[in-house]
Amino acid sequence: MSETWTVLALSLKLALLTAFLLLPLAGSLAWLTARRTFAGKTLLEALLLLPLTLPPTVLGYYLLLLLGKGGPLARMGLELAFTFPGILLASVLFNLPLAFNTYREAFRALDPTLLETARTLGAGPLKVWREVVLPLTWPGLLSGTLLAFAHTLGEFGVVLMVGGSIPGETKVASIYLFELTQALRLEEADRLAGLLLALGFGSALALKVLERRWKSGTAS
Amino acid sequence: MEVRYRILKPIRLEVALRVEGFTVLLGESGAGKTTLLRALAGLVPAEGEPFPGLPPERRPVGYLPQDLALFPHMTAWENVAFPLRGKGRKERALALLERVGLLPLAGRYPRELSGGQRQRVALARALARDPELLLLDEPTSALDPLTRDRVFGELVALIRDTGLPTLAVSHDPALAQVADRLAVLGSGRILQEGPPEEVLGAPASLEVARLLGYENLLPVRVREGGVEAEGVFLRLALPPWARPGQEAWLGVRAAEVLVAREDRPLPLENVLQGYLERLDPQGLAYRGVFRGPLTLEILLPRHVQERLRLGPGQTVRVVLKPRYLHLMPA
Repeated sequence: MSETWTVLALSLKLALLTAFLLLPLAGSLAWLTARRTFAGKTLLEALLLLPLTLPPTVLGYYLLLLLGKGGPLARMGLELAFTFPGILLASVLFNLPLAFNTYREAFRALDPTLLETARTLGAGPLKVWREVVLPLTWPGLLSGTLLAFAHTLGEFGVVLMVGGSIPGETKVASIYLFELTQALRLEEADRLAGLLLALGFGSALALKVLERRWKSGTAS
Repeated sequence: MEVRYRILKPIRLEVALRVEGFTVLLGESGAGKTTLLRALAGLVPAEGEPFPGLPPERRPVGYLPQDLALFPHMTAWENVAFPLRGKGRKERALALLERVGLLPLAGRYPRELSGGQRQRVALARALARDPELLLLDEPTSALDPLTRDRVFGELVALIRDTGLPTLAVSHDPALAQVADRLAVLGSGRILQEGPPEEVLGAPASLEVARLLGYENLLPVRVREGGVEAEGVFLRLALPPWARPGQEAWLGVRAAEVLVAREDRPLPLENVLQGYLERLDPQGLAYRGVFRGPLTLEILLPRHVQERLRLGPGQTVRVVLKPRYLHLMPA
């Protein structure tokens, strides 16, 4: 029983930190691609989509090469394979396309003349963000964050490749469920799967509620 | 206020213009009207006066873009209060809304207001900034055609009360009727500016005449005491620049091609005999085509048509009074 809570807590910690880190990272990339044109934009967008089109194990494999013993990043002191920071990095990369796409749609739906007009009304960048951008885009930003959170809970391949299954460090709920099933400990597996189901459904429901709110807020 | 701007992107413009009272700038779509307004608001880089080099947030300018850009998540009064700071923000916003006659609607969201009401909210919001110059982009485009003239007239009256110099850009020549000053933009510069009656009555070039809605524009050759158009001599007082033998353009408004009354003595000059090729109702007036030695578009007021009862195919004589003939250099 206590192991169930340990792995769930680790999954939640991973999901929360992933979603939290993606907000500034995917957010600034989304703002950049939604609002500006620059050389190599299409290439950047394709690169940002890559984690979605790659099999998770392939992404995990390359990360393992980068972060594992003797890898280029490991030699620079970032020996993160089989550690929590390692699976956090993997999880951020893996969820980048999801958060990025949702954020970009939120920013694209924002009418640029509103921002310009706000400036002609004397508003500096801070006021424009606080009083125009955030109030009009927060449902979209929150739903991107929620999506990344829920998706991280279900992550399997990348985390297993990069993190292995070290109890308390990298053994997350989805991997534990796999192990329980393999060991035919079906009673515990049942309970854990039920909890994950409840979390997943709660996130999906919250997403839909936000989407409705967003649509009614931007339609004017 | 004198405007002297040089703009390179997104369109090349070199503009010198005086903004005085309600100034209307006419130009075709794509001539750069919006670009000029955006440059004045600081949203497009430009060289020159006024406000050289200032970012938009530091320019004392009230800018009303074509779609007005009211904040959809704020009520009317919150929109007006946006540029205001400090204590009494709400009271000052409400006072501005009262000034434009919208106090009862202060709590409504933009989507709950009509085009004319939204325009007045945008005006109140621009006034909250204490501007020295108002900029209006196509101010009649968002208005309901049925009530357009009245609603726009009220807006202009409100703007006149503020005493602020205002630059309104449009492609609609009807806007010229309310202007204190009229300018025409084309080919990247101001083609002509001045009091509206002067510009409307005496366009300086073919391009200006076209934009101002002159229906009849004929290539002519200058002769002694008049011009020759397709072999027809028309008498008119020549402007100082015109020399006999020179090529020029003659502009005549359709409404100023007069159909002669057969029961009255005819004038001695500039009478053309022909027939009406067509005549169609246009609102309360009638628009038609006269075909004779020259082909001319005509516009008959209702009272004239009621007396003459003309129809297509009918033989008529038209008179081109010398003072309604406007000569422009080729």
